[in-house]
Amino acid sequence: MKKRTLQRGLSTFWWVTIVFLYLPLLVVMLFSFNASNSAANFTGFSLRWYERLLGNEQIISAFWNSLVLAIVSSVMALVIGCLIGYGMYRHRHRKLGWLIVLIYLPIVLPDIVFGISEMAFFVSIHRHTGLLQPGLGTMIIAHVTFQIPFVALIVYSRLVGLDATLFEAAKDLYATPFKRAVHFLMPTLKPALISAFFLSFTLSIDDFVISFFTAGPESATLPIYIWGAIKKGVSPEINAIATLMIGAVAIAAVLSLMFNRKGRY
Amino acid sequence: MTNPMPAPEVEYSDPLDDTRERDDAMPREASSIELKGLRKQFGKDMVALDGVDLTIEAGEFFTLLGPSGCGKTTLLRILAGLEDPDDGKLLIGGKDVTDIPPHRRSVNTVFQSYALFPHLSVRDNLAFGLRMRGESVAERQRKVAEVAEFIQLGSLVERRVDQLSGGQRQRIALARALVCEPNVLLLDEPLSALDAGLRGQLQVELQRIQKRLGMTFVFVTHDQDEAMVMSDRIAVLDSGIIQQVGTPSEVYEHPVNAFVARFMGHDNLFAIQRSADNWVDTDLGRLQLDAAQQRAEQQGWLLIRPETLELGGEVPPGYNRLEGIVKERLYRGSRIEYRLEINGVNLMVVTSNLGQRLHAVGDKVTVSVCPEDLVRVAA
Amino acid sequence: MADMSLVVRGRAVVSETRHLLFSVMPGAVWIIVFLVLPSVYLMAVAFMTNGPYGQPQMPLSLESFRQLAGFGFLGWSPGNLYTLLRSLWQTLLSTVLVVIVAYPIAYYITTCREKWRPIMLLVVVVPSWTNQVIRTFGWMNLLAPGTPLSDAAQALGLIAPNMGLYPSNFAVTLGLVYNFLPFMVLPLYAAFEKLDTAQVQAAQDLYASPVRAFWHAVFPQTLPGLLAGTVLVAIPAFGMYVIPELLGGGKGMMLGNLVANQFAGSANWPLGAAGAILMLIATFAGLFAMRRIGKRLGGGEEVVI
Repeated sequence: MKKRTLQRGLSTFWWVTIVFLYLPLLVVMLFSFNASNSAANFTGFSLRWYERLLGNEQIISAFWNSLVLAIVSSVMALVIGCLIGYGMYRHRHRKLGWLIVLIYLPIVLPDIVFGISEMAFFVSIHRHTGLLQPGLGTMIIAHVTFQIPFVALIVYSRLVGLDATLFEAAKDLYATPFKRAVHFLMPTLKPALISAFFLSFTLSIDDFVISFFTAGPESATLPIYIWGAIKKGVSPEINAIATLMIGAVAIAAVLSLMFNRKGRY
Repeated sequence: MTNPMPAPEVEYSDPLDDTRERDDAMPREASSIELKGLRKQFGKDMVALDGVDLTIEAGEFFTLLGPSGCGKTTLLRILAGLEDPDDGKLLIGGKDVTDIPPHRRSVNTVFQSYALFPHLSVRDNLAFGLRMRGESVAERQRKVAEVAEFIQLGSLVERRVDQLSGGQRQRIALARALVCEPNVLLLDEPLSALDAGLRGQLQVELQRIQKRLGMTFVFVTHDQDEAMVMSDRIAVLDSGIIQQVGTPSEVYEHPVNAFVARFMGHDNLFAIQRSADNWVDTDLGRLQLDAAQQRAEQQGWLLIRPETLELGGEVPPGYNRLEGIVKERLYRGSRIEYRLEINGVNLMVVTSNLGQRLHAVGDKVTVSVCPEDLVRVAA
Repeated sequence: MADMSLVVRGRAVVSETRHLLFSVMPGAVWIIVFLVLPSVYLMAVAFMTNGPYGQPQMPLSLESFRQLAGFGFLGWSPGNLYTLLRSLWQTLLSTVLVVIVAYPIAYYITTCREKWRPIMLLVVVVPSWTNQVIRTFGWMNLLAPGTPLSDAAQALGLIAPNMGLYPSNFAVTLGLVYNFLPFMVLPLYAAFEKLDTAQVQAAQDLYASPVRAFWHAVFPQTLPGLLAGTVLVAIPAFGMYVIPELLGGGKGMMLGNLVANQFAGSANWPLGAAGAILMLIATFAGLFAMRRIGKRLGGGEEVVI
């Protein structure tokens, strides 16, 4: 009897928490279709805010910046992170403590410290050498830095989960080092790499703080644009971009999850 | 043979009974193997191989036998090229291959875990080695079809690896190595993951395949029964040193030292206290020996194989006669094992079950043994 | 002969090391150049003097740390100290609240049918995949003046008429709890899933009251998960920038905002860098403390990132 009361209480608490978690997102999505520009009353359905987005050049440019940043940084992080993950696996019997510390550093460093140290560094280098002018380039560098560890850890854990004698079987069956990479390592790692790419992509799109501090005047991304717009005053237009971003991230994340699950035999 | 044959899991016909003409697609170019002073050390003080000299004949079924950590797997991995020796030479087919990497050796391995590629189908697994060697698609298809038929698993080639049973995986791993037509096939405890019934069946099958192909097989196991059933010759290893090399009967009946004797399953070993040309003193008392058994060294052990002992009945002239009390009786169906106590030490006796009267625990019995059956063993 | 093989062996070791360098070096060098060096530079900046245009200058001094403690041209002011204390308080409060919400949720998921559990976890995690700015913006929408929540708070007399629930310290706490809830649910769920039910049943036999059974059998087993969750919540919460900036206003400022402002508006890099060092110390002290406690508890390697 008592147990059932507890269970019912917990179930209620669960649903309240779910409402708490989804309410802010639902409000954003709902008001993106609001006919009036009130943030408090829903007066009717309309797509006018979405239409306005298409006409806003700043938003279009921010969208392309976000996309280019996410794709370029994810591809670079994939290559570099995959190499580290493989190196960590291949040499796992050696003492690699320094490498582990190095890999966890971008993960444990608070975003704000990460962002300002990059900014201070880039600005100083630029002042002295003219290189690394804040812009899309510096943002890509910063994003690759925080994506590398995630790619490396995904690749490493996939390799560790593998029967180590598979590597030897490939050698034993006449595969040269190059053919081992092409016919054994790459196909085996494919699901992990796809999943790592989507994760990197999601992390890049999601990031605000680090982008904010490493961006230049011309390289605002969507979150940076939204931030600026919010600072100027809440507008229903923001709801519309936000809704599109929620949708995009949800799709990328689900794809990442699907590939990761398929990858586990 | 200790493993009775159970109903087979997969139906197969005896390759030797096959009346078809022997297909010549699989050349039987077996290679001999020579090891000279092979040494391998891991870390600072873990010596895996301590100067191994060994010659394996072409077309031989050769077994490396020993407890875990004796160096047998390291030796096999050196043959495959997966491990580099610290010192010494390895010759396969008369050619020095010590510095040749595994992918350029005509040697294939059946791994203990089978190591089938999970991202490939059975067919692609079978074709992997041929593909890596750059053989044409037509050639690959022909050979894969042939080997699949040879191991009677033609129906499985389209499956994924995770859809196979343990026994099927074992056969596919074997086929994947065989299809490459290596000069030497290495088998690293390939049967250890299978249950006893299937294991017995595959022991016989492996032996038949080896005889049919005439390939050199080097087989690693820690199971002395398995080694005796399958091998032409056995090398017993301990602490990185080869203790004895010989045919199964040589190793079983005339072990060179106490380690080999114990590892081959012998319990009746007695320390020799004093000895002369034709007798020894042990805890059992004085026993007459065949003079031909005389060895240079005086110390050592006396081995009495339990099946050479005669329990009760007349003691023939010239035989050793002992008296003891039955402490334990194990009924094993085809044979009966007794544990006797003589002068405070245990003696195991095995008799065939021929319907004779069984001795009960507590019975006082006479045991006799021919002097020729007593073997002196080094310490 | 022996010499020959030594040469061969030496060559193998060299090629292995070269392999390690080729595979690991690009990434390691990347992180060193683009993260370790900048962090070291930032630490150096903290010990420099602030120039007239906000750029760090020689000579070296501890001026920035004095400023961080509140000493300025006009004597001492408690502003920075309040910010620091507020950061600590917000971190503590939101971590405790997150635990209070996450604990029953994690337990509830383990009581549900096995096939539902991954989906339930996904449902909890999905909102955190959205951009932080957007999530916080959602709360601005919800807490703005004229919304049902603000109206209700006004009716109860909690806030002045015609005001919203934000900007306020309350809104910051709410935002932090919202943001970090999934980070606590996941490790706690992992701990609950491994729970040894035999121990729980034994405890139910030994102690009559369910409360005592919980305290002696269930709670200690979930401690590693709780600890991991605390690391994942408290450390980033202490350095939070976006939420106090949007929901807190001037009186809701936290250390992250203080630091960021020195690099944006007020332009005092050394002061900002000094604040960043404080944040780093807090981060590593937190990690270290959790590791120590985790080791004492046994099975402290539960920190999954």
